[in-house]
Amino acid sequence: MIVAGVDIGGTFTDLMLYDTDGQDVHVHKVRSTPSEPDRAMIDGLLELCAAAGVAPGQVGAVYHGTTVATNAVLTFRGATAGMITNRGFRDVVHIGRHQRPEHYSIMLDIPWQARPFVERRHRKVVGGRLVPPRGEELEPLDEAGVRQAAQELREAGVDAVAVCFLFSYLNPEHERRAAAIVAEEMPDAFVTASAEVFPQFREFERFTTAAMNAFIGPVTGRYLERLAASLHDAGIPGELHVMMSNGGVASAAQAARRPVTLMLSGPAAGVLGGLWAGQLDGRQRLITFDVGGTSADIGIVTERGVLEAQARDTQVAGYPLLVPMVDIHTIGAGGGSIAYRDHGGAFRVGPRSAGASPGPACYGSGGTEPTVTDANVVLGRIDPDRFLGGEMPLHRDRAVAAVQGLADQLGLGLLETADGVITIANANMAGAIRSRTIQKGHDPREFSLVAFGGAGPLHAADVADILGTREVLVPPFPGITAATGLLTSDLKYDQMRTVFMVQGAIDDARLDRELAETAAELTRRLLDDGVTAEDITISGALDCRYIGQGYELRVPLPGNRFSEAALEEFHQLHRQEYGHAFTDPIEVVNLRVTATGIRPKVERLPVHPGSMQEALIGEADGVFRVDGALVTLPTRHYDRAALPVGEPIAGPAIVFQRDTTVVIPPGWHGAAQSSGNLVLSR
Amino acid sequence: MGHKLARMSYSPIIRESEDFGCVICDAEARQLCESRESTPLQSGPIPGYIRGINRRFAEIGEEWRPGDVVMHNHSYYGASHGPDVAFVIPVFLDGRLIAFSTTTAHHLDLGALTPGSCGIVDASDAYAEGLQFNAIKIEEDGKRNEWVWRILRDNVRAAPLVVGDMEAQIAAARIGAERFLDLVERYGLETVQAASEDLMDYSERMLRAEIEKLPDGTYRAEGFVDGFLDHPDPRYKDLKICAAVTVSGSDLHVDLTGTADQIDLPLNMPFEGTVDIAVYLTLRSILLDSATHDHVPANSGLFRPITIHAPEGCLANPRYPAPVIARFCPGNVLADTVMRALAPIAPDRVSAGVGNLKVVAYSGLNEAGGFWVYMDIQEGSYGGRRGKDGLDAVDTLYANTRNNPIEDIETHFPLRVTRYELRDDSSGAGTWRGGIGTVREMEMLADGGFSLEGDGAKHAPPGLFGGEDGTPGAVILNAGTERERVLPSKFPYRKASAGERLLLIAPSGGGYGPPGDRDPEAVAGDVADGYITPEAASRAYGPGTPA
Repeated sequence: MIVAGVDIGGTFTDLMLYDTDGQDVHVHKVRSTPSEPDRAMIDGLLELCAAAGVAPGQVGAVYHGTTVATNAVLTFRGATAGMITNRGFRDVVHIGRHQRPEHYSIMLDIPWQARPFVERRHRKVVGGRLVPPRGEELEPLDEAGVRQAAQELREAGVDAVAVCFLFSYLNPEHERRAAAIVAEEMPDAFVTASAEVFPQFREFERFTTAAMNAFIGPVTGRYLERLAASLHDAGIPGELHVMMSNGGVASAAQAARRPVTLMLSGPAAGVLGGLWAGQLDGRQRLITFDVGGTSADIGIVTERGVLEAQARDTQVAGYPLLVPMVDIHTIGAGGGSIAYRDHGGAFRVGPRSAGASPGPACYGSGGTEPTVTDANVVLGRIDPDRFLGGEMPLHRDRAVAAVQGLADQLGLGLLETADGVITIANANMAGAIRSRTIQKGHDPREFSLVAFGGAGPLHAADVADILGTREVLVPPFPGITAATGLLTSDLKYDQMRTVFMVQGAIDDARLDRELAETAAELTRRLLDDGVTAEDITISGALDCRYIGQGYELRVPLPGNRFSEAALEEFHQLHRQEYGHAFTDPIEVVNLRVTATGIRPKVERLPVHPGSMQEALIGEADGVFRVDGALVTLPTRHYDRAALPVGEPIAGPAIVFQRDTTVVIPPGWHGAAQSSGNLVLSR
Repeated sequence: MGHKLARMSYSPIIRESEDFGCVICDAEARQLCESRESTPLQSGPIPGYIRGINRRFAEIGEEWRPGDVVMHNHSYYGASHGPDVAFVIPVFLDGRLIAFSTTTAHHLDLGALTPGSCGIVDASDAYAEGLQFNAIKIEEDGKRNEWVWRILRDNVRAAPLVVGDMEAQIAAARIGAERFLDLVERYGLETVQAASEDLMDYSERMLRAEIEKLPDGTYRAEGFVDGFLDHPDPRYKDLKICAAVTVSGSDLHVDLTGTADQIDLPLNMPFEGTVDIAVYLTLRSILLDSATHDHVPANSGLFRPITIHAPEGCLANPRYPAPVIARFCPGNVLADTVMRALAPIAPDRVSAGVGNLKVVAYSGLNEAGGFWVYMDIQEGSYGGRRGKDGLDAVDTLYANTRNNPIEDIETHFPLRVTRYELRDDSSGAGTWRGGIGTVREMEMLADGGFSLEGDGAKHAPPGLFGGEDGTPGAVILNAGTERERVLPSKFPYRKASAGERLLLIAPSGGGYGPPGDRDPEAVAGDVADGYITPEAASRAYGPGTPA
């Protein structure tokens, strides 16, 4: 089967075509077309098919990473959304957790107050109340009230409605009934219910998630419909799948129901691409390190797979979001990060970025402030004549002028300043990685760093040094790792239910029944997507905590049935995560089920090794810090495409390829692998 | 540290409300850094706790030793108030004391006369407020002093929760100590210390640069604490707070002379731990506002440019053993007063008058005969700001906790939240109107009781630059029934039976600038959103505004 991966980012659209039988791969990168994103996808796919000698009609599936849903939130362009909620609780999404996002500020804005997904005028309240422990009905739903509210919303021009009731995670009946009435009254509206999106306790977070789903529902739905139509019109029959934040893909239909699951569509694909590269060389513990122009995305992989964020920690644009997400930490550090001296005299790098326009000073497009890329040019780590395969010559003199300006302010030399910029940027990136690993009880020294993105491999070895990490992997196509990741994904749906049971009084029959029901529901979704039963796997887990605690840890349930062993496992996990375990009874808070539908995917790529003579393309001065001193060393330059397999290159050396530059500092060496990875170690 | 403390702890006041602080200090008790999750009123006082322990150690001839864990909550030895208990772990390198890792957290109960650790508003002296731990070594040489733990367990209600939270605090403090040692191992003590000095100097420079931009002179404001509105003696109500802020070059002095005399009920504020923190945090939030200013490290260097004076014997500098446990609300009035004093010289960085908070302790006996205690914090609201309306329904100034989800409260306690939303027609009119407070009503589902400490039921948050005053809050028992009764903004423990309801109404903030200058579209929006009725809108903003 021929499968295509298409990751549409803000600047570029990355494409990969893979033949799962012939293991043949073709890649392509085109400029994105933000006003009509599907154009870049279709044009790119057709060009790629032509280059690969494949008829568009042969493409069996298209896997897509998208920023459409995320951008709708970030730019706050969505539907006129309405809400129906409990009487007496009109402002749950406005009050939030009553905490200011900044401790030390008077002039701050609170996202959900300054930019509400649903304005108060469109928040309607109706009678009806459910109560714990099982969602018993204290007051019946006022169905006439719901109908009237829906009519008012329709007249107000609302085109998406979130139905949000307290304790719906225990009993979704009121929400279901209300949603059905709204759908009758507003047949063209996008209608969503909070427990349908994610049935987890904590009303502000769940209601906000549902409100966001409503806000971005229509725009995402229209986009996916148009994309499917465009693919059809271009003669590409492959079914469209969209990458979700949880690291799985959804059918376009499922994605359109739950657009809030697409927030990390592209970055999650990047982590999967990093995971795939690590697995090629049998590595299980990975830190994925994706550095672009403005930001660095960091993901963690352990023996248990890609690390997921805890629902308590997940947010987008400052709004809480209760859906499963790969744990990706993004910091404002990239090639375009601007270095400056602040008015307290501190030497800082980022998070402000020169972006793609004007870009770093060396682009010669009007930028004058020194960036990380400029510092790399000054230090000889980026060759101005080989940037983007030589297609975009850089202006070394402008880089020097920009860095010199900062050097004068700081009273330092040019090279010292350039080195300072890199050192600070690296320290920021290493600090972010440390906080993600050590905070969760992992030692970064036991991991390999998988570096990709335009700037990741430039900094990876230095960052690894700070962390004590001994190995860096650079995947075969570091500039389109996310597109690769798309082709490694499976269909993956999650569902959970809040159960609240305490050790000693666990109703294991009920747990097993609810696990089975949830598994059946997800299996149905996969079967609807055309997955055959034998390609479906189910995995269950419990979110547990010591009774009284407020945060849960996830314990896997082998066999998808409850067993006391899971509670034992919880003590272990608690000790690993927090360095401490208690003896108190354990409370089971949620049960979770993940259903995976296996898809054909990219495996090993063909490798065409060359020789050292072909690969060595020159030598130039490079500036490095060795034992604390800044020294200029002759630095060999290599062409990655021509590297032989298994022959080590000693640092200092620089390996060029079209989409990135790999720096091998003194003390490190690198060798191309038969897997296609370039591995640096020390 | 904060991440782990929130996740390991038991009681909602720590794990959901995040009423805790985590700080690393150097050997001289100077704060080097704090964890992001800390609430300002918990992290800010930590250096003072350590200085207080040092003072106590000096009195009794004791010193810090490796393997110590010290428990401390003495309000006259640097602690913020009794319920905020610190656990301090000294960090040693080759036998030399180099740092302290500390966590503070608000505990549910410390054995005061009635259940809970808030609303103990009838405590007549420090002894009535609960157990006092003055530099107690709860671990020595790595060994736990089980006797102290037993005293604790025997004397607090809801002991399993309190002790679990304390264990979590110690575990989190240990992590801080380990991480600091890692840092020292990686970079060497000398480098770490030099960097610490640099960072403190840097923070100091940042604040000085902002003070220098202000015109020299003395600027004054007054504020009022409700006090005990039902008390027969006038000395217990309408307690005045006076602030005179003097700017002189890059120095700033705050003089609280004129503030009401101390009283023998617990609204007195410890000078160190509450007053200093209220002043520091308010000034930094105005002058180095994190939304508009580059990040400034939160360390002790930051506060070097600021001095504070409060005459001994006043509400802001009480003499031992005056009770202080309910100092939270007066401290917020103090912070608001300092902010308003700065208004004439920093008009684009302050808000009009701020609405104060309320804290309730609900409690009762559970089936097993033990106590359940639940602390519920009702937020306030901010006044209008230049260019922006006030923030609605948030913790204000030196407080920044989180509310507890309704779905969590009702699952774990015999309580039902029957209403939680914004109040009607209450915000102070202005070019930029005040923020809107909430109404929050709780029903008891079993017999028990509650106590309340709050303020702002009488004195409205003041308007600024021509804006109108906001609206005071209120407390109503069994609203809408035959048993309806208005209660004062603070009352000690009172019994309540199943079915009784406590309705809390938060104050709404003051307006900023003349109401007549408000954008008509903003008024129309408020009417559409139901924040203000058409009639009230035309009263406040003039006829011709939308109806």
